[in-house]
Amino acid sequence: MTNTIPVHLDINGHHHELRIEPRVTLLDALRDRLGLTGTKKGCDHGQCGACTVHVDGERVLACLTLAAQAEGRAITTIEGLAREGELHPVQAAFLEQDAFQCGYCTPGQIMSAVACIREGHAGSDDEIREYMAGNLCRCGAYPHIVAAVRQAALEVAS
Amino acid sequence: MTVHTRHGDASDGALAEAVGGRLSRVDGPAKITGAAKYAVEQQLEGLAYGVLVESTIASGKVRAIDTTAAEAAPGVLRVLTPDTIISLRSASDWFGTPPPDKPYCPLARDIAFSGQHVAAVIAETFEQAAAAAALVKVSYDETPAIVDLSDGKAGDGISIDAMTKEWGDAQAAFASAPVRICAAYNTPREYQAPMEPHGLIARWEGDRLTVWEPSQWLDGMARTYAEWFGVPFENVRLVSPYIGGGFGSKALALSHGAVAACAAKMLGRPVRLVMTRPQTFTGYGGRAATRQTVTIGADHDGLIQSIVHRGVNETSIDGMWVEPLGSVTSIMYATPNFSSRQNVVRVNSVVPGAMRAPGENPSAFGIESAIDELAYEVGIDPLEIRLRNYAEQDPEAKKAWSTRQLREAFAVGAERFGWARRTPEPRSMRDGNQLIGWGVAAGTYPVRRAYGEAVVRILANGSVEVESSSIDMGQGTYTILAQTAAETVGVAADDVVVKLGDSRFPRAGVAGGSRLAGVMTGAVHKAASAALDQLVGLAISDPRSPFHALQANTLVVANGRITAPRGDGPDVSIAELLKNVGRDHIEAMGDTMPANSSAEDRYKNYTTIAMALPHTEGDYSRHSWCAHFVEVRVDEDFGTVRVSRVVSALDSGRLYNPKLAESQWKGGIIMGIGQALLEEGIMDRRHGRIVNNNLADYLVPTNADIPDIEVISVGIPDPHSSVLGGKGVGELAIVGVAPAIANAVFHATGKRVRDLPITLEKLI
Repeated sequence: MTNTIPVHLDINGHHHELRIEPRVTLLDALRDRLGLTGTKKGCDHGQCGACTVHVDGERVLACLTLAAQAEGRAITTIEGLAREGELHPVQAAFLEQDAFQCGYCTPGQIMSAVACIREGHAGSDDEIREYMAGNLCRCGAYPHIVAAVRQAALEVAS
Repeated sequence: MTVHTRHGDASDGALAEAVGGRLSRVDGPAKITGAAKYAVEQQLEGLAYGVLVESTIASGKVRAIDTTAAEAAPGVLRVLTPDTIISLRSASDWFGTPPPDKPYCPLARDIAFSGQHVAAVIAETFEQAAAAAALVKVSYDETPAIVDLSDGKAGDGISIDAMTKEWGDAQAAFASAPVRICAAYNTPREYQAPMEPHGLIARWEGDRLTVWEPSQWLDGMARTYAEWFGVPFENVRLVSPYIGGGFGSKALALSHGAVAACAAKMLGRPVRLVMTRPQTFTGYGGRAATRQTVTIGADHDGLIQSIVHRGVNETSIDGMWVEPLGSVTSIMYATPNFSSRQNVVRVNSVVPGAMRAPGENPSAFGIESAIDELAYEVGIDPLEIRLRNYAEQDPEAKKAWSTRQLREAFAVGAERFGWARRTPEPRSMRDGNQLIGWGVAAGTYPVRRAYGEAVVRILANGSVEVESSSIDMGQGTYTILAQTAAETVGVAADDVVVKLGDSRFPRAGVAGGSRLAGVMTGAVHKAASAALDQLVGLAISDPRSPFHALQANTLVVANGRITAPRGDGPDVSIAELLKNVGRDHIEAMGDTMPANSSAEDRYKNYTTIAMALPHTEGDYSRHSWCAHFVEVRVDEDFGTVRVSRVVSALDSGRLYNPKLAESQWKGGIIMGIGQALLEEGIMDRRHGRIVNNNLADYLVPTNADIPDIEVISVGIPDPHSSVLGGKGVGELAIVGVAPAIANAVFHATGKRVRDLPITLEKLI
């Protein structure tokens, strides 16, 4: 397969034009074509959550999404979360609560957490655990992730 | 239970920025914004992409590889097979043992396990390489494989005499003991499964090789690459600024790295090669499956008179891995008679490797389950029996402990957990249809010590720079070295920049065995002290210094400013002083090697593990210690086990940064919960192949599996273990978690599960 197609992607408020094969995933387009390596590849099969991004505000696994499927939709990655140098409350809470160690699952955790709060699924620790369960962390930062999401949810609400 | 306890304060009560303070991760901002570039995320001109092809049989020979279709596929640059890849030289092992004088081919003709690399496709894009890799046709002459330890062909294996430990007459003492227990304990293949898959970018410039690769040991891996390609060590540069988890699996250069470096050399282009997630289950070894029998003879008061221990671990057909199964057995309890022996059994597997607390982890599952069984046999509380058999000195080395706050850990943990409210009978605590069980177990890990180098520079603007080829895979190296340099020189931690993860920097040994923090804080402390001495020396003696006229013997440097000890002189910033004396920087190298060490010794120290100091060197036996208290809830009808509460008290000596140490401890406990309840490599017995080689089927804990975990530091500074008083942190906390859970499950259900993981079919 050598046929390439034009794909227009709207990422973090910036417009990108790519010429890629239709089989290129959103994850590989971000990482290999656009240098947006904040979104991580952990399994490439939708099993680990490391590649979580937002498409039209909803959390999506970039490894299970073709880049072409995201055309014309608003994509937000970890690089686009902080506004004018100001950390998103979830990012600040992750730092404060030490909600990561190696940092590799962290962008996906943070993108999931932002959506989890927005979905109204951060009402209790148990609810946070359940709605954050799609993002694996092998370093085992889970208790601190729960604490960070709880803290950020309160800040976002206030 | 009566225990007199002194609750050690390992946190120093220090300011956040000083050693012992709760400074947030200094590499945190890069990691939470996506700015942290991991090794294979470097953007390089002309990058080509490699994908591996692996064997689908576990034993036999490659008959032929048909690359025709793959070579004709779009974008393909080269298909590498054992016949077309360039030849390498064999490299020495991690002890530095000279290699056999024969070539090394990272692609296999002789197949010793399923998933062995047999070919690789290099193409212009990742998608093209992956598609073409599926077109490579490999035919085999297959021979019967030994699937695992339970295979009838496996046999009893090879006796590893170096693992034998004997004192007293263990067999006779057991035979005459009034109380005797004997049980077998098994652990399955387990996998490190770091979130970042293994992979690398290799680039040649003439005979110089640069490798961007996640690495727990830059200098060790650089040595291997250099030996493979027959180039000087200095010609190989390893770059590994961030590592997405290792847990033991990223310490050595592996065959996929050799393939990528060969491809880059053959093509004259940089090549990126990353394992797929399934390939990470066979591209390197996880924890070996183990079998142990533990036999304890005791009196009616539960006092141990004899322990007889026999262990077996699997290794590969052509490699050797020994998982030291007697390591905790021989030191946890005072016993007058002891015997431990171990065999290894060859099976058709990739050679197993290091995974968080190799040896100690399965060893503790055996002895810490067995002592629980003894407690029930003699009718003594499981905590009390551990105290009755408390080892006041190292029973094996017959030396004093450097520090052992285990009694304190038991006391503090029991108090916080509420152990006194436990009713001893199995099935005696319940909440509706949930059976509740409380279990306890202890853990330990030896203090491994080695030497390190670091350079500390005080720059013209008064900031401080630290350089070391050591690494940070999440343990917090960046942060604790910033704290060490900040405190030693007398500047704010914000004014320290720590540069790690480049083999061009001063050398460091492996980030493994929980040794790096102790080694590197020592080296940075030494370098920073030397830099401070130079700074103060200049301030006192240079005629251009405002302090010159004071004729002081020393000066105070704090918060980036220099003053006289009594505060009765000038008060100038470090930057001003350097400007006054006309210096643009001060630089000091610190290394902790003995002063008379030869260049060869130094090379050996940083590129092998042969120079590591024994933990029983001199007068003391050095270990970290912990006690885990666990509550489980078992559904009476379905047998599902949930861990609902964990309290662990841990002695890692002085903590350089309690915030980060607590994170590592909790991470170890969580990996232990996975080991106890979820993790198991499942073999397809027909093909000798791991079936669940992905993150949906190899179950690691998710957020929903993990309850609140309380960790409590009971350590005190240990001057015999490291320069600044710390002991190991990273591996300790997983040790003892699985037996604590198994013991809790017994308390809940009355069923003793001796075969991990504790899955529901073992309970119903």
